[in-house]
Amino acid sequence: MRCAILDLPLSEDLDILRAATARFAQSEWPIEKLRAVADGGPVIESGYLQRAGELGWFAALAPEEHGGGSISGTGLLDAVVVAVERGRSLQPGPFVPMNVVAAALAREGSPKQQADLLLDLTAGTALATWAAAGPSSGWETGEAIRWARTPDGYALTGTAVLVQDADRADYFLITAGSGTGISQFLVPARTPGLAVRPVSSIDLSRSFCDVQLTDVVVPEVTLVGAPGKASAAVEHQLQVACVLTVAETIGTMEQDFQLALQYAKDRIAFGRPIGSFQAVKHLLADTSLLLEASRTVCDAAARAASDGGAGLELAAVAKAYVGDSALQLGQNCFQVFAGIGFTWEHDQHLYLRRLTMDAALYGDPAWHRRRLARYYELPEAK
Amino acid sequence: MAEPGADLKEYRDRARAWLAGHLDPRQPGDPAGADPAHWTEERDHRERSIQRILFEGGYAGIDWPRQYGGQGLTIAHQRAFDEVASDFRVAEFGILGRTTWGICVPTMLAHASPAFLTRHVPRVLAGEELWVQFFSEPEAGSDLAGVRTRATRDGDRWILHGSKVWSSGAYYADYGLCLARTNWDVPKHRGLTWFAVKVDKPGLAVQPLRQINGRSEFCQEFFDDVELTDDDIIGEVNQGWTVARTMLSMERQVGARTKMRPVTAARRPAADLVALARRAGRADDPRVQDLIARAHIIDVVQAELGTRVQELAAAGARDPASLACYPKLAAGTSTPARALMGIEIGGGAGLTWPSGEDPPAGVNDYLGARGQSIAGGTNEMMRNVIGERILGLPREPSYDTDQPFSEVVRRAAKWGRTESPKPN
Repeated sequence: MRCAILDLPLSEDLDILRAATARFAQSEWPIEKLRAVADGGPVIESGYLQRAGELGWFAALAPEEHGGGSISGTGLLDAVVVAVERGRSLQPGPFVPMNVVAAALAREGSPKQQADLLLDLTAGTALATWAAAGPSSGWETGEAIRWARTPDGYALTGTAVLVQDADRADYFLITAGSGTGISQFLVPARTPGLAVRPVSSIDLSRSFCDVQLTDVVVPEVTLVGAPGKASAAVEHQLQVACVLTVAETIGTMEQDFQLALQYAKDRIAFGRPIGSFQAVKHLLADTSLLLEASRTVCDAAARAASDGGAGLELAAVAKAYVGDSALQLGQNCFQVFAGIGFTWEHDQHLYLRRLTMDAALYGDPAWHRRRLARYYELPEAK
Repeated sequence: MAEPGADLKEYRDRARAWLAGHLDPRQPGDPAGADPAHWTEERDHRERSIQRILFEGGYAGIDWPRQYGGQGLTIAHQRAFDEVASDFRVAEFGILGRTTWGICVPTMLAHASPAFLTRHVPRVLAGEELWVQFFSEPEAGSDLAGVRTRATRDGDRWILHGSKVWSSGAYYADYGLCLARTNWDVPKHRGLTWFAVKVDKPGLAVQPLRQINGRSEFCQEFFDDVELTDDDIIGEVNQGWTVARTMLSMERQVGARTKMRPVTAARRPAADLVALARRAGRADDPRVQDLIARAHIIDVVQAELGTRVQELAAAGARDPASLACYPKLAAGTSTPARALMGIEIGGGAGLTWPSGEDPPAGVNDYLGARGQSIAGGTNEMMRNVIGERILGLPREPSYDTDQPFSEVVRRAAKWGRTESPKPN
């Protein structure tokens, strides 16, 4: 079910991608399957990522010579179409980090890194994830993990959190900081000193891990880009992560809102559908505005992504606005469902949980608002 | 005909050359936008002369029909001209420019008789007529179809009696487009008629209305048996609601267009609040910086929503008037909130200013911004339209649509006392 009130029509090619993604999601991972594992258990089944890769989920931001390619000509727009459908049906798996790593390698990776990994990554036969933030640090500073030169290469130490599907990952793209700047490393999973600890999370539809690095020694060839000079690359990766997460959020918001709207038409109280009461009708109108405004801002951020500074600014605006709006939407929908929405059996909590995690991933609204301060030329906040 | 792009380019070049030969280049400080404050006789004369030059040069009403003095070209030609003309000192009629050109004449073109249009449209194009909307009343705002100003048949004349309010810029208008009740014995939507009312008619008094911010952009009018004729009617007698729907749609779209803040690469986000924070000495306060970011986000979202609805309307979306409720509701809810941010950043000291001076912009915005949540339909009306027309929720129960309006008024006065009306 789609509610596309202020959606611009998709091109024919992108609409085919959208429909194929929706069909794939419905057959591979309908909500009943999520329900079956919601109490714990494996979240992605074997072959899921490979079949998703065949649909082009991980190809849009990678170059054609390494298995990538974009339908629209602007890779992020393709990936946004996939992301919205994924969010709508609460799809599992590291779609966002895989695309972030693909985009990073396409821009910054050495020819060897590109040749070794991109083909498998875009095909969905290798799983790569992104380790950037620490328990109390941001996503772009490299504070969580420290890097230092050693005679044999580099030593990495620290803990990254919210690393999606790290327990199944083949590769980690790790952001690390030091006094001389930020560096990034592409590290294979079975590197000594790298420990993955799966964690439970509020989001039942995806799995996350803490990744702890204790004096992990990696050779020169794992460097992505120049040592100490990865700051701009990390900003770009964060932008990709934000736009795609926002797009997933839009899909989830749409679906939750559709369910609440239908419920307001079906549920009878005082001899009337509850949606005929102005208190409920107006709540739904406000909620619809949150959704439609989120959609337009998401599109603006995606379209501006190749536009340098404006793209970075809009990604932060979108992540902050949509994060707040999504949580408000989740609460408003809950208010419409009332009692039934407070039960485990009703799907609403699955949407609310996912929306809550999306709002926090890759920077919560307050964090992105702080980042926007750079555009005002004001003194450092005290 | 040549391909449209080439035609437009040639048109744009020709317009630019003509403008350069006939009008002054735009200077900083020239009037712009819809601000009607400080309208003077001198300004009135100047704007009307400029409009006359545009009309005589064939650059007025570019996409309006030729038989009424327009140029009969496309909206794309009009936009091309507007683009070029923004570099020149064209006529700026303030708020009445918007109502005359954006709302009143497009509504007339859809509904008025050829004879009416022949009388009025060329005069509008020549700068001889400015139109105001006589729309809301002291007792009818959101419920516009409940207007009580009456036009009563008297031989071959109509006698207009009642009052209108919130008419922007009426004090410098030539004509008002007035919605009046012509039949009280039918349901409210079926007894309404539109009249053209010359503002200097005997019996018509215009009074400026002082707003909460002390300014006077709106007026109230009193009609004490103003005489009208059949020639003044727009559309059919008692079919005025059809005309009103056209007009409301124009108004919402004009409203959504003009409430956008421009988003361009060169802009300075939330520049007003940044400047305010500096003046208040609180530029390094993290809470102040968070408020600035919130305002910045509001501005981006508002601009994107407005642009999106325009894009969809231009692409032929169904029911653009209802879609325009999204940016309107966004503006109606976020504008007062944003203005409050200015007050919070300014702190207590921002609420005072030197005696004898005008209040600072933040104070004016704070008081004036709430107009956005009611003008052109309250937030609640927007929510009803979104809820019912877009989301498909059940309509509000009606107590007045199937009964004679006179009966509705009589019974409504007894609500909760001697009668408990049932919905239709």
